[in-house]
Amino acid sequence: MKEFFYEIWIDIRKNKAAFAGLILILIFLFLAVFAPLLSPFFPDQVIDGALRLPPNSHFQNYYFVFGTDDIGRDLFTRLLYGSRVSLLVGLSVVLLAASLGTFLGLVSGYFSGWTDRIVSRTMDFIMALPSVLFAIVIVAVLGPGLINAIVAVSIVALPNFVRLIRAQVLAEKSKPYVQAAQLYGASHFRILFKEILPNCMAPLIVQGSLGFSDGVLNCAALGFLGLGAQAPTPEWGTMLSDARSFLETSPWMVNLPGLCILLVVLSFNLLGDGLRDALDPRLKNRA
Amino acid sequence: MSQELQLEIEELSVQFKTDSGVLEALRPISFSLAEAEILGVVGESGSGKSITNLALMGLLPDNALIHAKKVNFNKTSLNLNSQKELRKIRGSQISMIFQDPMTALNPSLTVGYQMIETLRCHFDISKIAAEHRAISLLERVGISNAMTHLKSYSFELSGGMSQRVMIAMAISCHPKLLIADEPTTALDVTIQKQILDLLLDLQKENRMSMIFVSHDLALVKKYSQRIQVMYAGAIVESGNTVDVIKQPRHPYTFGLLKARPSAHEGLVKEHLYAIPGVVPSLKERPTGCQFHPRCFRSTELCKKQDPELRANLENTAQKFACHHPLEIS
Amino acid sequence: MSLLKVTNLKKSYITKNLFGPQREQKILKGISFELSENQILGIVGESGCGKSTLAKVLTRLEPFSGGEITFTGKDLKSFSPKEFPYQIQMVFQDPYQSLNPRKKAWEIIADPILVTENISRLEAKQRALQMMKKVGLLAETCERYPHQFSGGQRQRLGIARALMLRPKLLILDEPVSALDVSIQAQVLNLLLDLQKEFQLSMIFISHDLSVVKHISDRTLVLYFGEIVEMGPSREIFERPQHSYTRKLLESAP
Repeated sequence: MKEFFYEIWIDIRKNKAAFAGLILILIFLFLAVFAPLLSPFFPDQVIDGALRLPPNSHFQNYYFVFGTDDIGRDLFTRLLYGSRVSLLVGLSVVLLAASLGTFLGLVSGYFSGWTDRIVSRTMDFIMALPSVLFAIVIVAVLGPGLINAIVAVSIVALPNFVRLIRAQVLAEKSKPYVQAAQLYGASHFRILFKEILPNCMAPLIVQGSLGFSDGVLNCAALGFLGLGAQAPTPEWGTMLSDARSFLETSPWMVNLPGLCILLVVLSFNLLGDGLRDALDPRLKNRA
Repeated sequence: MSQELQLEIEELSVQFKTDSGVLEALRPISFSLAEAEILGVVGESGSGKSITNLALMGLLPDNALIHAKKVNFNKTSLNLNSQKELRKIRGSQISMIFQDPMTALNPSLTVGYQMIETLRCHFDISKIAAEHRAISLLERVGISNAMTHLKSYSFELSGGMSQRVMIAMAISCHPKLLIADEPTTALDVTIQKQILDLLLDLQKENRMSMIFVSHDLALVKKYSQRIQVMYAGAIVESGNTVDVIKQPRHPYTFGLLKARPSAHEGLVKEHLYAIPGVVPSLKERPTGCQFHPRCFRSTELCKKQDPELRANLENTAQKFACHHPLEIS
Repeated sequence: MSLLKVTNLKKSYITKNLFGPQREQKILKGISFELSENQILGIVGESGCGKSTLAKVLTRLEPFSGGEITFTGKDLKSFSPKEFPYQIQMVFQDPYQSLNPRKKAWEIIADPILVTENISRLEAKQRALQMMKKVGLLAETCERYPHQFSGGQRQRLGIARALMLRPKLLILDEPVSALDVSIQAQVLNLLLDLQKEFQLSMIFISHDLSVVKHISDRTLVLYFGEIVEMGPSREIFERPQHSYTRKLLESAP
């Protein structure tokens, strides 16, 4: 496995776009982890009178790089803390959807028959509905909130993982190395997790990276609709929604969280594409 | 027998630019091919036999560096680095048949469509005329019911049938040179014989020159007039097939001959002569004679000095690259 | 005593068409043969003759539709899933797909004993290394992945894996077809040596007559799911009786 990741690293380093994506992700990660140290204020701290100050402005003894919002909170601080929320949301969505999706995909691909039929039809059902709409329905049932939004977005992301892993399993399970394992009496469990799963890692990693950006985007969308993180949580989507009415007078309140969402989503997509190039044997000639 | 030379190649070499440096896949080789002659090229995978052909067809990947002192085809000089020049002769003057006929045909188009398109691409003829031509070509390669087979797709055909279609397409423009790269490796023995016999017939009929590539010496010896044994990107022995088979001088040729089990001679359940080791990869090429780590006759000299392809004194047609050639018995 | 006895073995696939009737495709049309201990039986036939299906049926990878198979005097079906791996093992044709690309050489070879026996990884590795030596692989290469081996070496890995459980019968499905001639000879010699060392019986399946001749005691010629000729290899190759066998021999270069 070590060599596997080393090879990926070599390929990513050669791919300029993917490498840029990776650097951006690392920067966001750094900002998220050290947000308390880097930020001049607390995310909920209201500075009296500092309403909707534009970026790069001084107010009393304070300096606001990115300006303030409509009730006088420092935008820079809130964006920093927002990166914590977004990355955590993305990570949770990917972990949830990937682990459950991989399990379902493995099982339905390996044991064809009714297991496969039930899983596949359920996934078809989820995919048949527009994803954000379906997420809204789930949140509406569970109640608004960040955790519920994560659950809803994970469910929406599930079919991508299930279908991917299932297709991979179908391709792998007919290969002779699986038959050889059957012949020496390896259990289904062992064949699934020790023989087949390691061969599904490549597409899984790619989908994980792309799923991360989907998760961030969908959660931001739910936040924007008021169904995700609730005020005063500094979540980019929620911030965007709160600032909507000030679009004309104080555009930075809308632009900056929007830009953050864009950058995170873009960097994960770039990395995902790079990983796809690195891992898909059809796109790569291993001479 | 003074025949015109159809193909003349001097010091053709191919290198690949890769992350781990420039790798030499084909060391400068020279060979020629007379009109209506069949040249058998033998060697294990990784010996450079396919690379020679792909270079001739201009089908090497972009990271390949091709050098040649002289390439004459049909008495005119040819630049192997010019796709424009190669495109003009590819298909019309030089055709190629590949190992896997199933993947060489486009599965989403009918056989007829592909044949007719090829014909109309090279000749200025109407669709109807092309169709008639396609039918007669299919009949010539032994496909009965040519009319119906025009409408079939490649996946509906058996391996032997697809290879017949490939042959029909390859000869459709009366090429002067046909390159058959392991044309029957994917096929059963009985089909293999039919296909090779067919190729031989067509070759005689059209007076084509042919390069027949195979890893199986037993096949090559049956179907070629001259033979060229390749190892690690160089020619190690060449000569008239009869001579080379009867009296191999290079230990590698000898090994290949001995290693092939035969259905007609030898004992049942007998140990075969096996050349030890494997062809070195491009990155791990040894010094001196490329074959010395696997050779039973190698000495210190072989480790240091790469032998040149030289002629045998008694028989000028047979050449070999070995410091310690096998004696003539 | 015969190790394996196959009587009137039949195997057919039912293909269901969405429209139109079910079709029964007969792959094996009632074949019978025996294999004694320490013997190598060669099975020759062209693609579609059912030789690979026969291998799958004998290894219980696929069920059969009729007839009887007895192994060491017992019904093949009566072996428990724990016993069966010690009876019959198989070497596959494609040396590129028959080894898990994400496992190291020694892990591939050691897996059969790790699955069936209660031993430590260290001990399993030791035994895997011994087996690697037996099949002519350097022990130093045990940490490599399959793609770092050549075709012939991969086939040796496959053979080593199949021999780890010391099966009584080894089935080889076109084990050398994907290899170069010189490497073929290496693998064939290895198989002959291993047969003596391990007191193995083998079924050697191939479309290549010349290869079968050089390895098998007895040969069986399969044509469209039926045995057209069977007997000691020498007789079959010197005095073929059936016209199909003769045609095969003539076609061989």
